[in-house]
Amino acid sequence: MSASFARGTAASEGLACCHICCKLAPATLHECPLCGAPLHMRKPDSIQRTVALLITASLLYIPANILPIMTTTQLGSGLDSTIIGGVVLLIHHESYPIAAVIFIASVLVPLSKLFALAWLCWSVSRRHGRSHQQRTRLYRAAELVGKWSMTDVFVVAILVALIHLGGLLRITPGVAAVAFGGVVIVTMLAAESFDPRLIWDELGDEID
Amino acid sequence: MPNPTAQRTACIECDLLVSVADVAEGQRAACPRCGHVITSLSEDGHTRSLAFALAAVLLLLMSNAFPFLELKASGLEKVMTLPNSAVELYRDGYATLAVLVLGPIIGIPSLMLATLVALLVPLRQRRPAPWLVPAGRFFFFLNPWSMVEVFLIGVLVSLVKIGAMATVVIGISFWAYVGFAICFTAALSNLDRLQMWREIEACQT
Repeated sequence: MSASFARGTAASEGLACCHICCKLAPATLHECPLCGAPLHMRKPDSIQRTVALLITASLLYIPANILPIMTTTQLGSGLDSTIIGGVVLLIHHESYPIAAVIFIASVLVPLSKLFALAWLCWSVSRRHGRSHQQRTRLYRAAELVGKWSMTDVFVVAILVALIHLGGLLRITPGVAAVAFGGVVIVTMLAAESFDPRLIWDELGDEID
Repeated sequence: MPNPTAQRTACIECDLLVSVADVAEGQRAACPRCGHVITSLSEDGHTRSLAFALAAVLLLLMSNAFPFLELKASGLEKVMTLPNSAVELYRDGYATLAVLVLGPIIGIPSLMLATLVALLVPLRQRRPAPWLVPAGRFFFFLNPWSMVEVFLIGVLVSLVKIGAMATVVIGISFWAYVGFAICFTAALSNLDRLQMWREIEACQT
């Protein structure tokens, strides 16, 4: 078992590092002796879980983009707007920086995060064997940017809470707001369930 | 009697065994293989963290007590406070959205602050407390889910969007929330996970 792990790693000595408290303990304990959290050499079923969550997020991404994220009702007539519609409208109003913020947070970040994590899972399961450093950096980036996608959900909530002027002007949230919040949460869970140590375990292949 | 594993840890991102025995105060130890920062020891890091956490508690309370934004259009006015907007969202039948928004911007940060104060006060006096271990676990479990900075960007985007339709007045709570976001981030960045757990461990035995 330990032969497949690269020399100098905790796993090659049968040790596991607790994810919560960084305590090093024998992996046979199953429970961290300091904080009591479940102890694993590697996150259990990391690739399967990550892929399952990525599929869930991709499915949620469809209603998040097709359905309206909010409805503006002005003097009785309603106007639905989608995420992309909101970006297009901002470009029309020549608010380019804000359009860029929404486009990056709502389109670019979630899509690139989905592709990055999918590629990482694929590369690890195929034992890619190269560019460990770059793949670790890619993972860190995917983990870091994830929560910034919530921007648009917060914007909708603020508009709904603030623009509430009786029959004159009113904004109500759409289904896409919750679906998109779901995309963000599920991709964050996906990033958390991916174990970057699997990238480095490939180094163990060369030693055997 | 220090146990031998206490001087060693493994990089959480690549699993390389690393000795942290001779990391001096004011130094930062990064994994030699993947570059992940394992610990950055500082003498008064946790004291600073506690100070920022207490300031953040006060500012968070303030930001819930005053108007956050105010809308003026065609003689009509609408005042938005943070707790009120959650109640309204809930009352209008958007409970999921209310939780999805208020959780990461107020709920989780306030739980984190309460836990942080409950951890740092006894640790500062090196006094064991029965809640240290569960509080530590709870804190690091919540950590990824606070979105205080993201909310501020959301507010700025909303201001621009509404600006086209009506006049918006920024309230005291907004500035309190900006201060809270700064103090909250500072409290977290002065905290070192490895050092905190070593202190908890020292208190337990």
